[in-house]
Order: sequence, then C-alpha cells, then structure tokens
Amino acid sequence: MPPIKIPSRKEVIQREKSSGKDVAAIYPIHYPRELFRAFDVHPVEVWGPPGVDTKMGSAHLQSYICSVVQSGLSFYLEGGLKEVKLILVPHCCDSLQGLGSIFKDFVKPGQEVLTLYIPRGITEESVRFLSDEIEKLYKSLARVTGRAPARERLMEEILLEEETDALVKDFYAGRKKTPLSSREFYAIIRAREYLPPRDYARLLQIAPRQSPESGPPGRVGIIVSGLLPEPMEILDVIDEAGGFVVADDLACCMRRVYGKGAAENPFKRMAERIVQGPPDSTKGGSVDEISVSLTGLTEATGARGVIFYNVKFCEPEDFYRPMLKKRLQNKGIKTLTLEADINQPLSQQAITRVRAFIEMLKGEA
Amino acid sequence: MKVLKSLGIDAGSTTLKIVGLDEERQIVFSIVEEPDPKIEEQVDALLREIGTRYDTASAKVVATGYGSNLLRADEKITEISCHARGIYEYFKTGGTAVDIGGQDNKVMLISENGKVIDFMMNDKCASGTGRFLENTAWRLKIPIEKMADLALKSDGEVPISSTCAVFAESEVISQLSRGHKLAHVIKGLHRAMVKRIGGMIYAIGIRPPLMLSGGVAKNRMVVQMIEEETGETVLLPEDPQIIGAYGAAVLGL
Repeated sequence: MPPIKIPSRKEVIQREKSSGKDVAAIYPIHYPRELFRAFDVHPVEVWGPPGVDTKMGSAHLQSYICSVVQSGLSFYLEGGLKEVKLILVPHCCDSLQGLGSIFKDFVKPGQEVLTLYIPRGITEESVRFLSDEIEKLYKSLARVTGRAPARERLMEEILLEEETDALVKDFYAGRKKTPLSSREFYAIIRAREYLPPRDYARLLQIAPRQSPESGPPGRVGIIVSGLLPEPMEILDVIDEAGGFVVADDLACCMRRVYGKGAAENPFKRMAERIVQGPPDSTKGGSVDEISVSLTGLTEATGARGVIFYNVKFCEPEDFYRPMLKKRLQNKGIKTLTLEADINQPLSQQAITRVRAFIEMLKGEA
Repeated sequence: MKVLKSLGIDAGSTTLKIVGLDEERQIVFSIVEEPDPKIEEQVDALLREIGTRYDTASAKVVATGYGSNLLRADEKITEISCHARGIYEYFKTGGTAVDIGGQDNKVMLISENGKVIDFMMNDKCASGTGRFLENTAWRLKIPIEKMADLALKSDGEVPISSTCAVFAESEVISQLSRGHKLAHVIKGLHRAMVKRIGGMIYAIGIRPPLMLSGGVAKNRMVVQMIEEETGETVLLPEDPQIIGAYGAAVLGL
C-alpha cells in the first residue's frame, strides 16, 4: 500500500497565503473553525508544536506549566508565527489563559491576539455565553480583516464543517476496516488541524479501507485518552506491543468532532456545536458524562483497555483521572496512566509500561 | 548431560541474571553478574558456556529487562510480566508482588490464577530504587551489603528526604557533617527509600500476601521496614534477585 501523501503545515500555509488568504495561529483546544473561514482566514492550530527548544518560553512561565504551553510560547518567541496575521488563544485552561495574558500584556506580538472564553458544562446558559463570545470574536475579526461576512456566508461555512465532522465520524467508525497503523491513522485525523475542509474531506476519501471489520488479528484494541498523542512514538509503541488504537478520547482529535447545531442564528449554532460536543475536562464535563462516554466507546469498539496519556501538569485532565480510572475499573476496563512531555522522547520505562499493559490485556502475563 | 527446557535472561540495569529450568520446572542453575556495556556479547559467551554443561538444544530463550532489546531470544517479555510470573510460580499464590530493582520499582497485583491484574512502576525518578542506596554507599565507601547491617544495628534514625536519589547523597553528607551518627543516617536513608516504595504499594492497594523480589529485597533492613510500613508480613524467595529471570524461564516453558 503506497503511503498517503499529506501536505505539511508549511506547504498549506504557503498555499493559502498565495491564494490571498490570511492565516491565523490557533492555540488549543476548542474554537469555531467555520468563523475564521467565513472571513477568508485560514486557521492553523498550534499544539505546541512538539520538539521546540522551550528555553525562551520557560523564562516567562512557572516550571509546572505544561509542555504544550511552554512550547507554544517558545515557538512564537523563536519566530515560528511570523507568517500569521493573528493569534487566537482560547481559554480552555488556566495555563492557556495565562498564555493569552502573556501575549497581550508582556510579549505584545506584532499580530493581533484574540481570546475566546469557553464556558463549563452543557447548559443553555453555556450556549448563550459562548454564542456571545463568538459574536465578539466575529467583531474582532471584522476589525482585523476589514471584512464582514453575512449570515449566509457564515452558514455556508458552518454546514461545511458539519459535513466534515460527519465524515470524520464515519472515518473513526471504520477504523477497524483501515489497514493503517495507529500512527498513519492519526496522521490523517490530525491533518484537520491545518488542512482546509475540502482538502481534508478528499484525504479521508482516499484513505484506504478494507474488510473484514475485525481489525488486525490478534491485536488488542486500545483507547487513548488525554490531550494529544505526542510524541507520536506512543502510537508505534502500542502497535509494536501488539495493540491497536481503535478510538480515542483526545482533545485534539475525537473530542472536537462536534455534532450538528440546530439554531438558525449562526453564532448560536457554532456555540451549540462546541458546547454539546463530546464531553471534555476543559469544558467542565462531569465525571459521569466523561466516564459514560469512555465506557460507551470501549463497548462500541471492543477496546480492552484505556491508556490515559497525560501531558504532565495538565490540571484539567489530572483532576478527573483518578475518578475516571475508578469508574472504568469498576466496569472491568483496565487502565494505564502515562505522563508525557511533548518535547521529550518516550522513556524506556514508559515503553515498558505500555508493553506490560498490553501483555496484561492479552492475558499473557 | 542434563536437558534444559527453558532459559530466562533478565538483563537489568545493574545486574544480569540467567536461570535455566529443566522439564520438571526446577531451577538447574542461576547466574548473577554485573552487566558489561556490550551485554549481547556477554550473554552470548555465557550461553556458549552453559551449552557446554547442559543440553540446551530444545531450550526456549526468553529475555526481559532493559537490555533485552539487544539480545537474541525466542521471546521478549516485560519485567513486569516476568517478575509477576516468577513470584506466582515460587509462592503458588496471588497477592501483591513488589520488585525493587536497581533503577526501578514495580508493584504488581496478581490474581489467584497468576495473571497480572494491575501494576505500577516508577518512570520518572530513581528515588526509592536500589540506586538510591548504592549512590550513598559508594559515596561513603561502604560496601552495599554492609548497609543493611549498619541500619539494623542502629539505635536511632535521622530523617532523610526521598525527593531525589542524587540530592539524598548530598543530604547524607550534610547530616554527617552536623554530627549525626553514620548508622542513624543510613537507617534514615533506608526509611526514605521504603517510604517511597510504600507510597507505590498503597497507591495500587495491597492485596495480601505481600511478596518481594529484586536484588534490593536481599537487604534485611528494607524487608523489615516494608513490614513496618505496611503492617503485612513479607514473603521472601530464597534468592529474590533471580525472580525476574526465573519468571522469564517459566514463561518460556
């Protein structure tokens, strides 16, 4: 099977810029992609990136700030965001909120820095609040770009994102049909962080699928939960140990596959999609909601275990994990917790633990 | 010539262990050596030598430990699975197995039928491992095997921080320079180490009996303190250091 060619972030940024679009750097986690596109601003997400020398960012941050934020600030300070017209820092945790403040009050980039407050809990009030936040973001984007897309344009982009979300759900549902390794599968899933929706839809369409749906024989289905699968070596380690990532509960992946909105008002519809999306610690989902979601995912996919792959010092995830572990264990679902730093290679100890976990699930131990 | 059915190799961070089993699952021999930097050559030489004494033609070779990736073996299995199986095979019971190794500790819950139910392992820090004691023993020029004797004879104990295996070394020197007795400091060092292990045991939850393996389990002070910290009587194999290699060999049968 020939490897699928996925364009790099850099290639996509250059292409979008040469087609006359502005580019926005988007920090994690939740935001309305469709809103940026309606302004002809191409959103490119900045999940770190991994492998950055963090010494410049570390000078501004406490040592207990996660590596995603450490890298995110260092990346900017090293000139990694020179190509972008604006920066969005959603308030998904205290560290990201702090990053927004550091940008606005201290670093003061040449580009406009916008923020977006994400409410907690799935309530009507949350939808109302986020709808207002998105409308404020619309006004900021209008000021920065000098454009003011009409309702129809917004709805066009919203519907396109909803279609893309449906395609991603379908791609996940067919995971066991794909002959792709876990790393190949997640390279495709994560290309959405920077590909335009139509390019991304084409990528999903050409991704190979095959029958039967049972997945690779003799392999143990694993669900990975956390923020992001970095370093992506973790996926190779799971595969090499005889595992197979059948689904995920990752903030950069499945937690952002939103459903359709219902409202006619575009701001409210974008808010509905985010608020009513998969439960997430950073959106204040309850332990009940998250554990039901994870349990349902394991049942639906036949996964035998859950790996909590946590970025070190990620408070939202750390607060939930002990209770989630207990709930899953009560349901007979085995769990493993690993701590990761997106700038460090996996330790041999971490690799041993993944291998031992899969041996345990296979019943070989 | 005695026929070997299985060879277990535990290429650990501080020692290399090899165990040979016959068809009755009995240990025919065991070897414990310091690992060479070129461990693959060391193991090849040992296996050649073993082959001159025993019939190894049908023996399955199972390797475990951090050095196992460098070795030629029929199968490679993690230390967690090997220690759990070794302990289960030795005591014929499920429970909580604690392996205190040179650079890592593992706590494993074992079911009644010998399967690993859950496990914990230190993966960020060597505090509480064998190296914690070794560093200080080396710094104080005390043979590692004498550390337990000193601590057991001590009539006092000076608290030592278990935050870091390297910082503990300087803390020991600092306490000695303040006039504390060497034996008190050494006993405090053992306590710091065992507190760390105790934390892991409690984090996973004790399921009696509590069973120890690994080279550090030969230290009687550590064993006594684990009993004090947990309130459980510890089951100790005759040679806890070879349990990982033994488990690997059993898994090869």
